[in-house]
Formats: sequence, C-alpha cells, structure tokens
Amino acid sequence: MFKFALKNMAIKKIQIILVVISVVISAGVAILAFNVASQIDDGISSNAGYYSLIIGPAGSNTDLAMNSMYFTGNPTETIPYSYIDTLYKDTNVKRVIPLAIGGGTYKNQYKVVGTSSDLFASNEFASGDIFNDNTDCQVVVGYTVAQRNNLKVGDKIKIGHGTEDHGHDLEVVGILEQTYSSYDNIVFTQVKTLWHLHEHEGEEHENHNVYAFLVNTKNLTGASVLVNKLNNTVITDEHGTEYPIQAIEPMNIVRGVLDDLGDTKYITFVLCGIILAMNILIISIITLLNMYNSKKEIALMRLIGISMKKINLLYIIQNSIIGIISTILAFGASRLCLLFMSDYVQGMGVVLNYGKIYGLEFVILLGVFIITVLPTIICTYSMARKDSLEQ
Amino acid sequence: MISVKNLSKHFRNETAIDYKDIIFEDGKSYMLLGASGCGKSTLLNMIAGILSPESGEIEIDGVEMSSKSQKEKDKFRIEKIGYIFQDFKLIPEMSVIDNINILNLEGVDTSGADEFLEKLEILDKKNKKVKNLSGGERQRVAIVRAIVKKPDIILADEPTGNLNFAIGEQVIKELVEISKGKTLIAVTHDERLAKYFDCVIDMNEMTGGRRDV
Repeated sequence: MFKFALKNMAIKKIQIILVVISVVISAGVAILAFNVASQIDDGISSNAGYYSLIIGPAGSNTDLAMNSMYFTGNPTETIPYSYIDTLYKDTNVKRVIPLAIGGGTYKNQYKVVGTSSDLFASNEFASGDIFNDNTDCQVVVGYTVAQRNNLKVGDKIKIGHGTEDHGHDLEVVGILEQTYSSYDNIVFTQVKTLWHLHEHEGEEHENHNVYAFLVNTKNLTGASVLVNKLNNTVITDEHGTEYPIQAIEPMNIVRGVLDDLGDTKYITFVLCGIILAMNILIISIITLLNMYNSKKEIALMRLIGISMKKINLLYIIQNSIIGIISTILAFGASRLCLLFMSDYVQGMGVVLNYGKIYGLEFVILLGVFIITVLPTIICTYSMARKDSLEQ
Repeated sequence: MISVKNLSKHFRNETAIDYKDIIFEDGKSYMLLGASGCGKSTLLNMIAGILSPESGEIEIDGVEMSSKSQKEKDKFRIEKIGYIFQDFKLIPEMSVIDNINILNLEGVDTSGADEFLEKLEILDKKNKKVKNLSGGERQRVAIVRAIVKKPDIILADEPTGNLNFAIGEQVIKELVEISKGKTLIAVTHDERLAKYFDCVIDMNEMTGGRRDV
C-alpha cells in the first residue's frame, strides 16, 4: 500500500510540490515568528534579573538598561569611574561592576566592553578563566566570537575603531561558554585596558570614565532606596566636572520594554494566524481539486474490485506522507531561518538559539499536519458514503 | 456455472432491457454478438457485480449475486473475475507493471505477471508508461491485469473495439488461448471472430433490445 501510494504520488508530483511549498511557507513562518518572539522575550528577561540597579548618565532609562545589559547601542555619555568608591561606601551596596562601552571593536564587528572580573561571577568558561583585574591587555571573549574567529586561549587579538584592527596585542585568557545572550558576541577586557587603547590612539582619557555601574544591593529595599537617593543627582569628578546621573531598576525597565514588544508580538501572531488561515483554505482547495482529478482513478480502482476502504486508506496515506514531509521541512526551514536571523537579532542583544524548541511549535506543526490530512479524510469519507458503481 | 434467469435492468427508469434465461458453462468460451444498446455490456457488468438488476437472478456457482452486499461483490470481483474493459481502464501515467500491481492493494498475488507479459510479447514494455504504448499493447496489458490473478471467470467487453481487425484478431486468439480452462465471456460485434469461441450468443435475440419503461 505504502509503495503504491508513493508511486501514485510520483505521477502527481507538481500538485504535491505545490502543496508542500504552501504548507512549508505557512507553517515555517508561523513557528519562526513564534520562536523568535519567545526567544527575544526569554533573552531580554533572563539578563534583567542579575542586577538590582544600574547607575549611568542621565537620559533615557531604556537606553541605559539596553546598553548595559544587552550592549545594543554605542553610548557616548559617561560618568567618572572614581564614583565606584562612593558607591562602595553605601551600606546598601554589595557589589559594583563597571562597564566601559564604545571603546572600539574586534574585527570591526564585535563590541569591546571594559569591565571587572566580577561580571563573570555566574558564567561558565569553555576554556581558560577570568582575566586578572590587576593586570591589563587581557580579554575574555564570548562563545560566538571565539567560534567564528577560531580563537583559543593564549591567542593575541587587536582591537580597533575603524576597518583595521591596530593598537596593543590583547591576550585571550578565557572563552565563555555559550550563553545565548549578548555575551556571546562581546570581547570583554579590563576597564583600564580600554582606557590604554584610547590613549594609544591619542584620545583624551585622563578622566577615566565608564558608561555605567551594575550594582548588586544587599536586599531589594536597598535598590529602591538607592534609586530614590541617586536619581536626578549630579556627581563631580576630581577635576570638578559635573555629571548628571540616573539610577534604574532593570527589571522595571525590561518589563516596560516587554510590554511594548508584546504589542508587536500580538500583531505578529495575528498575521501568522491569517497566513495559516489562508493556507488552510489553499490546502483544502488543492486537496479537493486533487480528489476531483482523482475521481477517474478512484472509479477505475473500484471497477477492478479495489474496495472503497482500501482506496480511502491509500489517499490518507498519501496525504499523511505529504503532511509529514511538509511539517518536517517547515520545521527545518524555520531552524535555518533562525540561524540566518541570529546575526540580525544580535543588535537587540539577543542571540537566537536554533536548537531551542518550544512546546507550542509542536502544537502548530501538529495543527498543520491535521490541516493537510483532514480535507482528504472528509473527501474520501464523503465519497465512501456515496459509493455507487452504477454512476 | 453462471445462470441468468428472468433478468431485467432499468436505465434511469426510462428504458429497460429484459433478458431471456442464459447459462454459461464452466471452462467454455462465449462470444456475445449484437447491435449497440442490446444489453451485452450491461450483462457483463451485472455478472461482475458492478451493476444490479431490477429483477431476476444471476447465480454464479450456486450463489445468487443480488444477495451479496457491495463489499461482497467487490471481494467476489477481485477474487473470481478478470474483467477486460473496452477502454482498458489503465492509469496512463503509471508503468505497465504498476498498473498490474494495483491489484496488490487487495492482496492479489501478481507474481505471475512477467509470464503473462511474455506470452503476450510485451515483457520488454513492463516498465514503460501506459500512455506511451499503442492501443494493441494497452489491450494486452489489460488482459494480463485481468488474468494474472488466475480468475475463474474472464469477462471481456469489446476487447477489440479500439483495434484494427488484424491486431484485434491476434488479441482474441491470445485471449482465448490464455483463458483455456476458464469461463470466458467476450462481447464483440465482429462476427469474423466467432470461430475462436466455443459458443456464440446473439444478444439481439436474447433481449430484443431496449424497451420504454
């Protein structure tokens, strides 16, 4: 039966290819949209809980959160690094991690972030270890950076501002395990290394500023107290230069971002629903036309003595094969798109994991499979009811 | 033995054909002659269980056909009857062997197909698509599909209808030869082929043609 079904399908390959393409596009788009939206949600939420507080230059609180946690922009505003001492004097503060951003790129593609070894407190290393805060010219690279550039511990890399990398050789001392977050695409170095690089390029950096401080407080109340205390205040450096600052609780900001994204996600899902609905219609029409074209074939089989039960089974097997192939291809196509989209979404600070599968994706695929097979079952059932050789 | 008694078949309640009683003995070949519309093909279709009569009986080996359900008729047709249709009833896009192997769907053993294809000299066309065959070759494929399951009864509806006389005569000779020992009932309107059959039945006399209902 299965062998004959395949042979019978081979003589209708154009119609079958059309059905498969139609199913692959609709199901692929639907599960891709769902997967990307969910991974962006997860990616944004997962980083937000690590720090109680972010302190940075006054301005957009969303920019501060996104730049500090997902390294999405190229901020130019800074605050003095020396403020770290003031923060540590506060009884609510447990740990402060400086972040210096905008200090160039590796291979004109991967951002270089100046920080301290505390940033990696919860990270696993694929090889090597955390850099030493008391030395310089060492880097810890994200998983993707290492993979794509074939970097190993002990390799030397150059950091630049333009198309060519120049300046000091920096030694790779550690490679992070894959995190499926913005960290995978970042080169981390000591803050002072970043300052040295700028000085080497003739830039004025006597002030030794950073972009922000990631702060862990001893408790949740401490974070609220600090936000109220520090927001809209002005700090000064040792030269008397004034810096207006802001303090934000990242979870609150991220919640707002996710609310905004939620609308987009909703629209995406509605569009996917419309595409799927259109395809249900197209698949049903193609199936009905196929069955109509097959009427002669069915009549022939009936005349030579093939029972309606066997004929029904034959067509259901055929459409099940189409359904299975289509859903597998749709799934594969969505993973392939995820792979290609990963670089694009990287700008949002999220790394798409093409191996990540959500339960609802299987529900969508199952739905698509049912949609592919159902019209045939209805058609054959209806034919079986009207079965009469006299016609 | 096939026994036809008081048979009557209606067509859309407008016309009808009434059959006189006929008996087809086992192992003999019969030629049904007659004008178009006299009920030759209809009789074959009723024997095969494709059509049901309005009244009368068709008894095959003592079993009344009209007492069978459609499912039983299908089973009977696939197991006992080899039917060669006038328009072949082959799937043109499929190969010769796939058209024969279609019977595998009902569990029919088609392993003897090569032997019959060779007898009818079309074994070399086995894997060719039916649409690329000549009319005579298609008719031979239809014959092989009908006889490969080794049926007790072979029904052939105008097996030479689409062929010129020379090829038609050859096909009939082969059909009669290959059907030896089985009951063969062939419909044809060409009297020149009568010499190849054991009995010739003039269906014009057996039915008197169609009448209004």
